[in-house]
Amino acid sequence: MGDILGLIGKRLGLGLVILLVISIIIFFMVELLPGDIAQAVLGQGATEENLAALRKEMGLDKPAIVRYLEWLGGAVTFDFGNSIVTDERVTSIIGERFRNTLFLATYAAVIAVPLAITLGILVALLRYTVFDRVANVLTLTSISSPEFFLGYILILYFSVNWGMFPAISSLSQDMGFWELLHRTFLPALTLVLVVTAHMMRMTRAAIINLLASPYIEMARLKGTPPWKVIVRHALPNAWAPIINVVALNLAYLITGVVLVEVVFVYPGIGQALVDAVSKRDFPVVQACCLIFAATFILLNLAADVGAILTNPRLRHPK
Amino acid sequence: MSLFVIGYYTLLLVASCLAAYFNKRTWFLLIFTLTLVSFILGIVGGVGALRFVAIATALLAVAGMVAYAFREFLIAIASTEMAKELRTAPLTAAFGLFVIFTYAIAGIFAPLIAPHGEAEVIATAFAPPDETMLLGADQLGRDIFSRIIYGTRNSVGLALAATVAAFILGALAGLLAATKGGWFDQLMGRIADVIMSIPSLIFALLMLSIFGPSIPVIIVAVAIIYAPRVFRLTRAVAGNVVVMDYIEAAKLRGEGTWYLIRREILPNSTAPLVAEFGLEFCFVFLLVAGLSFLGLGIQPPTADWGSMVRENATLISFGDITPLIPAAAIALLTVAVNFVVDWMLHRSSGLKE
Repeated sequence: MGDILGLIGKRLGLGLVILLVISIIIFFMVELLPGDIAQAVLGQGATEENLAALRKEMGLDKPAIVRYLEWLGGAVTFDFGNSIVTDERVTSIIGERFRNTLFLATYAAVIAVPLAITLGILVALLRYTVFDRVANVLTLTSISSPEFFLGYILILYFSVNWGMFPAISSLSQDMGFWELLHRTFLPALTLVLVVTAHMMRMTRAAIINLLASPYIEMARLKGTPPWKVIVRHALPNAWAPIINVVALNLAYLITGVVLVEVVFVYPGIGQALVDAVSKRDFPVVQACCLIFAATFILLNLAADVGAILTNPRLRHPK
Repeated sequence: MSLFVIGYYTLLLVASCLAAYFNKRTWFLLIFTLTLVSFILGIVGGVGALRFVAIATALLAVAGMVAYAFREFLIAIASTEMAKELRTAPLTAAFGLFVIFTYAIAGIFAPLIAPHGEAEVIATAFAPPDETMLLGADQLGRDIFSRIIYGTRNSVGLALAATVAAFILGALAGLLAATKGGWFDQLMGRIADVIMSIPSLIFALLMLSIFGPSIPVIIVAVAIIYAPRVFRLTRAVAGNVVVMDYIEAAKLRGEGTWYLIRREILPNSTAPLVAEFGLEFCFVFLLVAGLSFLGLGIQPPTADWGSMVRENATLISFGDITPLIPAAAIALLTVAVNFVVDWMLHRSSGLKE
């Protein structure tokens, strides 16, 4: 056991280092700004006194390293300073929205993961049949469509033509759980369509890869019934790739969520990020980017750890 | 029972009889499946659903025929060697080639094809289609059809430029890393790791927020984001070539790094790189479309598919599908490129089913 913990600890350490490097990139990229933040906020016509006053107020007169350390120290305790557009606390802008985004991603994942894995295994077992080919073309189309295309098609049919679900996900505090699920169904379905397609293809590839290995052929040749080949021989080794696929696609959800939130005007962190980018509200952009990057790294880390836990060969590295 | 339903089923029956008479087993099964699906959908959804199935089938059939005709056309004009390769192309790949060809024509000859100018206001806002405007007007009274045609040039052109930039950056770094090895290889590998651990859209948004949305910034941002993927593949492919004896021989001859890359390594690793270029283009195209949908891509009044969807999205709530056409154009091109890439990967890996 100590062995595994050591390995996982090492991965965690690596993840932390990468996160640190990313925080440096995110912070110092803003420093690359022609002029500086104060200049960007006040515009070209600002007087020298105004600039100096704003720089003082934002602490821009301190050296960059000191500001970075202060920012990082704040980020660890979820304090990202104030927005430079509305002067609100960044945490108060993001906090509620982050929870909404997590809810949407979880909603999509709960539907997509079991569906994709079942379909993926099914398609792998029926490989090279008509069913498989149709599934191939359908998943390819779904992957190739931009998220906003799928989203608007769903709006057109489910909300405009058939009136089953609302096109805009306006959330309020006093909504019941079912009401919430109903309101957020279309954005979740859009994400499900995209992620399921990705996940199905990856699961199919992993399972087909596995079924081609010699020990499966051996099991078949010695006369094991097909279901037993799958359950006893293939599945134990399939967990590693499947866990990997799930974690990677959940990481993919993180990016997909931005566009979907904009399409459905969903009050999430992706929408906040896009707004902040067009208003050039750097503290909010930095905070959102850091949160997205951290989640992304965490999920990739989970994929690695899952692979280590389910694959004995990785548990005892040579 | 409307005339359409009777006609539709009669057509299916005749087709399956013909298939059975000429002993075409797969065709018969296909038509039979279609008949079953039509039965079920017809009972559940009525004539409307049946009409939908019929239109979808007809579209598929037309696409198949166009693909077949285009493949024959290509075989006829290509050299003997190319024609041999083309004969093995599945219909999906031929369809992909046809779509790419059409887009190229539309993009190159946009000013000749489009009836109106790109930013020319010719009608009132959201004017319905008439004889001068095929698809009606957009939110400022510009012809949507003309803007879609011009959008081919702008959207695809930008994505292509960005992909080429990413490819040159990544492939050069990968080839150098494979030939030089040592600390340069290590450094490049670590940089690629870091960039790949930031979600691409987020990274693009970060860069655009700082440098402002303009075409050079988008190209550079996309190049930085996607170069690591190209780098990894190039490094892996070139890594296998570098250990070959003929490279050793060339090194002993005293050839320089640039000669090695250009004359020895590149010719031996083109096939996977070309396929990767296609895949990369799809990712870049979707990312750029996403950015312009968010209003951070090509800036107005230049026509661009992503922003067109956003600008006219209000029409969707009136049940109008016009705003979806540019989005469908994006999806169609991505699917087409994917089909062609699939075929090329299949061919270069020598896989037989």
